[in-house]
Amino acid sequence: MSLLRIHAQPNRATVWMLSWLLFAAGVSSYFWVSRDRHRDNPDDRVMPTIQQMVQGFADATLKPAEDDEVAAAAGQQSLFARIQSSMLWKDTKATGRRFLLSMALLFPAVMLGLHMGMFPHIGAFFLRFVLFFDKIVALSLLPILFIAFGIDELAKVMLIVIGVAPTIILDAFNLTRGVPREQIVKGFTLGAGDFSVTYRIVLKQIWPRVLNSMRLNLKAVMLFLFAGEMIASTDGLAYRIALLRRHMGMDTIIPYVLWVALLLFLVDFGMRTLNRKLHPWFQEA
Amino acid sequence: MAKSGILKKWGDKYGVAIKVQRFDYAPSLDAFVAKNIDACAMTNMEALDMPAASGVDTTAVIIGDYSNGNDAVLVRHNIGLAQIPGKRVLLVEKTVSQYLFERAMALNNLAGELKRVKFVNTSDSDIAGAFLSDTSQEVVVTWKPLVSQILRGKGITSVFDSSKIPGEILDLLVVRTEVLNRPDGSGQRFAKAVAGAWYDMMAQMSKPGPQQDKVLTGIAEASQDSLTSYKEQLSTTHMFYTAQAAYDMGKSDQLKKTMELVRQFCFAHGLLGEKTKSPDDVAIRFPDGSIQGKSDRVRLRFDATYMQAAAGGKL
Repeated sequence: MSLLRIHAQPNRATVWMLSWLLFAAGVSSYFWVSRDRHRDNPDDRVMPTIQQMVQGFADATLKPAEDDEVAAAAGQQSLFARIQSSMLWKDTKATGRRFLLSMALLFPAVMLGLHMGMFPHIGAFFLRFVLFFDKIVALSLLPILFIAFGIDELAKVMLIVIGVAPTIILDAFNLTRGVPREQIVKGFTLGAGDFSVTYRIVLKQIWPRVLNSMRLNLKAVMLFLFAGEMIASTDGLAYRIALLRRHMGMDTIIPYVLWVALLLFLVDFGMRTLNRKLHPWFQEA
Repeated sequence: MAKSGILKKWGDKYGVAIKVQRFDYAPSLDAFVAKNIDACAMTNMEALDMPAASGVDTTAVIIGDYSNGNDAVLVRHNIGLAQIPGKRVLLVEKTVSQYLFERAMALNNLAGELKRVKFVNTSDSDIAGAFLSDTSQEVVVTWKPLVSQILRGKGITSVFDSSKIPGEILDLLVVRTEVLNRPDGSGQRFAKAVAGAWYDMMAQMSKPGPQQDKVLTGIAEASQDSLTSYKEQLSTTHMFYTAQAAYDMGKSDQLKKTMELVRQFCFAHGLLGEKTKSPDDVAIRFPDGSIQGKSDRVRLRFDATYMQAAAGGKL
């Protein structure tokens, strides 16, 4: 039997089947238990059936959130307009804005790491502090964050930045230091100045790896964002989940969680594709 | 209660083993709805919108107390209720805090202005810190001991509290009805044992003397609170120390009026489920047999028999 050997060569069909097996097992056991619970208690809300979840998701995408005073005549609006004024769209927009803003704020972090790696004085100035900051659990400093940034948008974005930026800075720093010294010396002998070496030789090379490291930190970004939205907010995907939990609205929560997973996957995929397009020469070691 | 041996005494008397498990509030509700525990303490509002609305038939066997100032609307800059519309209000949305706030507005003829209030859903673990450190926030609604903590801040005053709606925010001890109705009678013995232990405890808590302080210290420690803070909370809690008082509450018309307000509130905010078309679909049965809602959809029952038995010394 070569089934469990290192040299085993499963064919395409086997690979396809094996890779979906856990999904099938998970989904079917969920619905099996769910059906059981519903037979026992038709009003069960802990494990909604697929119809309930579809209904929950349809409501979320087509109806405005209950607290909104959108024109009540939703029936006459076009499908597009209804989606645009829906609860899901509103939450996604709010969360997405915070997400993009904090991702944008990570770019200065990359630049800081680069300069720390290239210029010894800058490195000496920041390195110890960033190393220290990296180990601080941002969530435990919430009261201080509230004093410094209030409890609105800024606090949520800063929570993410404080939580994730040190990692990115250190990563960019290490990648910068990893660029072979010979190339830098070569740059100088060919007449480049400090800044052309920094931006045109080193930055160009670390860029694809930095993008990768940001990609790996997507989940951390999302976790901090969710934590922030659950602490205090008026909209957003995590806000809605926190609210729905109050009355066991699992029929909407589960589709919401899947929706977030899908969005994260798309962002991740987008960044990977972009990376490949921008740096076709880059091969992961 | 478990430590003092009272529970064991009563459990032995009725031949049931009772295990007490300490939970945070929200997880305890989740566990009760998931049927992992048989009995749980919760407010009248949560009893209706969590287990009852999820189809878990629930019976309230003990009415413990009502909030008589434990929940409050706090403001900065001495603004009044009338100035709140248009401002942001920190609270845990869809809980008794929101109920209290809406009642406050309704009692002051400001119900029409509610639409202009912007609620900020704030987690109860951070609400005190958030309000105290962010001085641009002007209104917060929460419960004790957080209320006392926030009131110690400078320039913060209370504009409304639950003592103005006495008897509306009740603490209940609820048991799943299917447990209560177990054919071997063990559920009823369980409820009797709990009720017996409960009122033993109440007697100890209410009788002044060294024993009282000892009991209260034990409770305060169990909830990671100080004796002073706990006593201060008790002063704004209307405890039903005697079974008779609780029984009277259970039989009263006031309870029906309260539950009518609560179920309309829950329905209006979708707490009975998005698909529930009418508040009548989660019906409530009272000790005298009267029912709010459809008689074939009773999900929350107030059962006064155990309080009555305790009052008559028949446990």
